Amino acid sequence: MKTLLEVKGVSVINKDKYRIKNITFSIKEGERIALLGKSGAGKSSLLSVSNGSLPPSEGSVKWKGESLKSISRKQSTKIATLWQDLRIIEELNVAQNVNSGALGRNNFFWGLRNLIGIIEKSECINCLSAAGLPHELIASQISNLSGGQKQRVAIARLLRQEAELVFADEPLSSLDPLIAKDILMLFLARSENNIISIPQTYLISIHQPELIKHFTRVIGLKNGEIVINKYTNELNSYEIDSLYR
Amino acid sequence: MRFKTLNPIAFTFIPTLAILPVAIQFFKGMHLGGVQIIYEFLISSLTPSLNTLVVQSAWEGIQITIAIALLSWIVSILVGIFLGIISSDILWLTIGKHIWIGKAFRRILAIPRALHEVVWGLLLLQVLGLTPWVAIISLVIPYSSLTSRVIANQLDTVDRKNLIALRQTGASAISSLATTMSPVLFPFVISYGGYRLECAIRGATILGVFGLGGIGTELQLSLRSLQFHEMWTSLWMLAIVMLVLEKSLDWGRRSIFAIEGYTSIFLYMPFLVSVIIVISFTWLHYLDINLFESLRFHSIYWPSLQDLYSAFTGLPIVKLIITTCLLTLLSGGIAIGLPPLLLLITNNAIAKEILSLFWLFLRLIPPPLAALIFILFTTPSISVAALALGFHNMGVMGRILKENLDMRSDYLYNAINSTGASNNISWLYGKLSLESKKYLAFASYRIDVVLRETAVIGVVGGMGLGWQLQESLSSFYWAEVVVITTLFIILTLIGESISDKARRYWQKNTSDFSLKPSL
Amino acid sequence: MKRKVFLKLFNLITFLLISHLLINNKTVFASEFLTISAIPDQKPEKLNRLYNLLCDELSEKLGTEVVYKPVTNYPASVSGFRTGDLDLVWFGGLTGVQARIQKPGSKVIAQRDIDAKFHSIFIANTNSKITSIKTLSDLNSLKGKRFTFGSESSTSGRLMPQYFLQKAGIKLTDFKGKVTGFSGSHDATLALVQSGSFEVGVLNEQVWLSSIQKGKVDFSKTKAIWRSPAYADYHWLAQPNLDNRFGNGFTEKLTKTIIGLTKESPRQRKILDLFGAEKFISANENDYNSIEDIARKLGKLK
Repeated sequence: MKTLLEVKGVSVINKDKYRIKNITFSIKEGERIALLGKSGAGKSSLLSVSNGSLPPSEGSVKWKGESLKSISRKQSTKIATLWQDLRIIEELNVAQNVNSGALGRNNFFWGLRNLIGIIEKSECINCLSAAGLPHELIASQISNLSGGQKQRVAIARLLRQEAELVFADEPLSSLDPLIAKDILMLFLARSENNIISIPQTYLISIHQPELIKHFTRVIGLKNGEIVINKYTNELNSYEIDSLYR
Repeated sequence: MRFKTLNPIAFTFIPTLAILPVAIQFFKGMHLGGVQIIYEFLISSLTPSLNTLVVQSAWEGIQITIAIALLSWIVSILVGIFLGIISSDILWLTIGKHIWIGKAFRRILAIPRALHEVVWGLLLLQVLGLTPWVAIISLVIPYSSLTSRVIANQLDTVDRKNLIALRQTGASAISSLATTMSPVLFPFVISYGGYRLECAIRGATILGVFGLGGIGTELQLSLRSLQFHEMWTSLWMLAIVMLVLEKSLDWGRRSIFAIEGYTSIFLYMPFLVSVIIVISFTWLHYLDINLFESLRFHSIYWPSLQDLYSAFTGLPIVKLIITTCLLTLLSGGIAIGLPPLLLLITNNAIAKEILSLFWLFLRLIPPPLAALIFILFTTPSISVAALALGFHNMGVMGRILKENLDMRSDYLYNAINSTGASNNISWLYGKLSLESKKYLAFASYRIDVVLRETAVIGVVGGMGLGWQLQESLSSFYWAEVVVITTLFIILTLIGESISDKARRYWQKNTSDFSLKPSL
Repeated sequence: MKRKVFLKLFNLITFLLISHLLINNKTVFASEFLTISAIPDQKPEKLNRLYNLLCDELSEKLGTEVVYKPVTNYPASVSGFRTGDLDLVWFGGLTGVQARIQKPGSKVIAQRDIDAKFHSIFIANTNSKITSIKTLSDLNSLKGKRFTFGSESSTSGRLMPQYFLQKAGIKLTDFKGKVTGFSGSHDATLALVQSGSFEVGVLNEQVWLSSIQKGKVDFSKTKAIWRSPAYADYHWLAQPNLDNRFGNGFTEKLTKTIIGLTKESPRQRKILDLFGAEKFISANENDYNSIEDIARKLGKLK
């Protein structure tokens, strides 16, 4: 299997303190990795470094063998992120937010048209329905949606991006458990028959160790360092417990 | 440091301290010799001159004022938005990391802001002669640069998370900026732009300087000759226009924001803008003001270095600067500190309505007229000038504060009120505290305006740079004019960098951006 | 759907307005017209009446369209004259000299009968206990008082009084608080001295006399303490190029028309009344030489 992302000896230092220290791991095509750790263990820093939004203080991150810093815009469209705070634009409507996932593939004027009205409606609807939202919501303002619906809009935008690799930062933390599971399943469901292409590779940080059975591999962080990096089936519950101790 | 423990809400009240020395000086010199004339001024408000000639020329005057104001306003907003965008940090940070370009633009744009419209007008007049364009350009110059500062600051305070998220998906810098910034910028421009229109109308009262007529001509002439009945004809007309404008803008803003997905109104903006431009051109055409006349350029005299040096050494620079700073601080203190205090002590709706009418009245009275009224009560001193400038600008600050507070929801106020706290305290914590940072940002812009308005308050005599500038202009002593305008620019730059630092400090307090993400 | 209709409507309005403007644009360039103006020291109603009448009178007599442009700022009217936007301006002594220096060759056309020997009046608030001034050196009794001029560009309200004060050995910093006030106008000076805010002030004799006539002066509060020596003040100043633009002999014709205004014709009588004059008399730039010297000495001319 092809290696998509390679993280080598990465540290993030802020105010003379290590947020993460000497992290090395890689992500292969098709892997579904769960990122576990207590709050403050460095999960967010690790994700930000991996998706390129935070330059590492030390070490290197490579996307398909090329330094993440210097990859083309076209390549960065292949990496998508579902942010913990969603980062959807409250002032815009659902379609505009979903389409903003495709800005990387389109030019500036397309971006302007998107601000003015609803464009590429059918593509939007496909993404919305893949994310489990009814198409009637396409013109709704974000501010009128519930928390779960907003999360699904963020996912729809992510699907619209047509990425290969997805990072997600605690996508379930703010949801009630039942919906959380629903969303995770939607996310991890490998539906073959879909009209839109669904990313196949994930690195998701989660708070619920009981969900790791849906993942192929687990990376555990403690005090900014990797303490677990194993396939799910090689893992025992004692190791996971030690993360939270 | 002690300073660090003070939060913005405290800073909204600290400026009121300026009222103390001003009041002491005012009351020390107070006398009743001017009662008769003040009485005449007030009673004349009930009997404005209805002489046909007066009403007719006031009516024509107000039309010219509105038409010119409309044109200058729309141009200054457009130019201001453009300049604001290119002088924001976020633009340069996103497209190429050369933040210094935005910074440099911001510093350069302080130059147009440093000088009063009248001063720009008199300078441009030397080059272009008496054409309507001089009036329009001299309004547009300071206004667009003020707008650009407000817009740049607004852009730079928008949460950058969404922008980072879009950049991360591979969207180009310009697309992601447009997508994340315009939904924030657009409603801001609608409310701020509306408020600027009133400023433009008040500013257009200077048109008389350029022989364009307008309501300002009537006002200035009747002020000089103390013809209160005629003055009130113009003041009432201006008051009605301002009131109608305020109410209709308020209505317009509410109905735009009530539209679901108002960003789609983007589409109409170019049309709206062109319609406004065409309307004002047509209107001016009917008022016999021809904007199509070709511009002629006149040679101007450039002072030599030698002249500049002797002008510099001939002026009591230190004294001028100290007086100007003192005057600016005192007036600024009154303008910034009093509105929250007055709103705090008036805690019912009717009183607040009366207060906002009072503020309208203060905005209506030009600072020189206010100074004349105050000085009739007391002996001349810096306090008179400070009161006149302070009260006029308080009208502006009060309006901004009240409007922004009215747009806030009541939930926090109600929550605090329900714990048994008094109305005043609930208002303080549940309303003002949310608004104080924004208010202080506006206050820092207002200080610029106060500084440049010191140039039009001469009645107290011999006060500061502003008066000296008038004196040098009326002596056509260009070397001195250059020296004083340079001092104005330096003071503006210093003032702005202080207020920028303060704002950055308050922002840091709320959103701790300890990690610097790459855009 | 609705949006499209809106757009079309907008387009239509814009198109109509622009085309209307283009078709209807009057050609203002076709004929030359004479622009007259005045320094702003009258009440607006009077200015409007006066200059409407004067425009009509001059148009009729000269056979050219005459337009009045009110300029509300002294330096602006001087600059407007320099740039050639104002053809004929009613200037004060100082502003006239300033304009003539900036536009060499300009012609002093006429002055009022009262302008050849104009005076300033020093007035004092009665509470100030200032006694009448007999000789120039008596002006020293004003030291330490609160003192105000009128407008900074005024000849009778500032320039000449400052000159007489200086002759008596008084500097502007010798007054109370080391500053002098600038009330902005003759009327304001009177009001401020009457109120007591300033103890002494100085204004144009014409304004003083007409204020007395209108009963605006309260002699229990204000009194005149000194009438300054005479000097030449207001005058009409014309552009040097009027003959080129309006035909040979135009300037002379203009001068004759102004000087020829008499109280016999009703309209001319009104004009003269509004100017506060019996008649206009011819004037010469040499009449203003001393003003020029004084202005240079006091830094109002560079």
